Amino acid sequence: MRVKLPREKRIFYFKTVLRWIVYYIVIILLFSTMNAGTWTKPILLVPAALCIAMKNDLMASAFTGAVCGFLIDVACGRLFGYNAVLLTVFCVAVSLLFELYLRDKFINFFWINAIVSFIQCCLDFEFYYNIWKYDHTEMIFCGQTLKVWAYTVISSVFVYLFFRLVNSKLMPREHLTIKEIINNNRGITQFSKE
Amino acid sequence: MKSFVKSAKFRILLVFISFLVGIMIYGVTKGGYSLSGASLINMLTQPLKSVSNSVALEFERISDKIFSPDKYYEENQKLKERINELNRKLAEYDDLKAEVEELRKFADMKEEYPELDMSMPAEVLGYVTNDPFKSFTIDKGSADGIEPYSPVITSDGLVGMTVEVSEKSSTVRTILSPDLSVAAVASSTNADYGIIEGTVINSADGHTKMSHLSTAHKLKEGDLIVTAGNTGMFPKDYPIGTVISTDFEINGLSACAEIEPCCDITRLNTVFVITDFSGKKEGADESKTAP
Repeated sequence: MRVKLPREKRIFYFKTVLRWIVYYIVIILLFSTMNAGTWTKPILLVPAALCIAMKNDLMASAFTGAVCGFLIDVACGRLFGYNAVLLTVFCVAVSLLFELYLRDKFINFFWINAIVSFIQCCLDFEFYYNIWKYDHTEMIFCGQTLKVWAYTVISSVFVYLFFRLVNSKLMPREHLTIKEIINNNRGITQFSKE
Repeated sequence: MKSFVKSAKFRILLVFISFLVGIMIYGVTKGGYSLSGASLINMLTQPLKSVSNSVALEFERISDKIFSPDKYYEENQKLKERINELNRKLAEYDDLKAEVEELRKFADMKEEYPELDMSMPAEVLGYVTNDPFKSFTIDKGSADGIEPYSPVITSDGLVGMTVEVSEKSSTVRTILSPDLSVAAVASSTNADYGIIEGTVINSADGHTKMSHLSTAHKLKEGDLIVTAGNTGMFPKDYPIGTVISTDFEINGLSACAEIEPCCDITRLNTVFVITDFSGKKEGADESKTAP
């Protein structure tokens, strides 16, 4: 375990604060894009919340999921809290999955995001259109719900890349990885032999 | 020197000079037209001349810039200031123009419908994301005297109804939505009553539907549909839209018509909220109009 120095601690706190500021600025920007224009738009806050949940602890993920959910509710004119509940649950699940079972790979994020977005879109369709038995709701499903889902999945690539960049620059590491320890030990052994 | 004068070189030179003089004299006699040789040379050197000319001009421009930068800098600054000033004036002019237009519409509507109490013009903040029925949010709320389930209009016609009111903003459900029902009547006959209710298919084209019409209706394409005003939810005789086509319902017991709203609901900038009107039903049954 790396011994923490006061300077390292300061850097750790600074990077953490800065990272969360960047996260929330991006969330606000994504929210503002959701309110622009009248065309069909992806729900970018879903992949954003999942990206944050992938790399952060449970409580922070849950909180961010709730915030993103509330923003989706406001933008989409849904019952305030409906998407917040959904995203909180999904973010907690994703945070746990990545902590216990899955590696931080793009493909893992991609399929999880595809599933979560699909569930979110389907529930939205069910509760806001299908349940009211409007005529021709299948038109909304094909022309709106699936389109939004496809847009969300495609655009999630860019969201993932952006958050990956932010994490690579601002995610402080508290501990060394096993690989790094082995490499460090190798270096020390070679140095002592020389 | 004597040897040079006597030499063959000198003679050749003389002959050549004579040839050139001859050409010159011949050129004079051509009366302004260039010789064919000169034309050929001109033609061949044309690209070269243009390149050299442009290089020279560029060189002059650069040298001018180098040797008199202060003059250009001052001129540039003056022009920039002038542009900024004009842009500011243009922006102010555009704002004022839009404001005057809005207020003019507002005044016209006040004059045309004196029985309606309207809010000040409300700006459309944005459409609800991915809503097929084009609900939108406006920048006026309860602080501006707006209540839930108040009719929303433009100078052209009915838009919808407020469904969620906060202090500074409100959400408007449009007549494209199946969740909003408006009692309507044909303006021409004043007898063909029906209910305006959106459908999924019609809303895709920005249209709505008038259902529950009598099978013996006399509606025809282009007829104006106005509010019936018998529910107490909407003022009487306010334009809703025009008939595009009529048809029978699937059950065959009643007829329906496709209606094109008087205003383009998918592209709204400013609307008005009717806060009070004659015939308004106090404490209207919200559950019937807002499921």
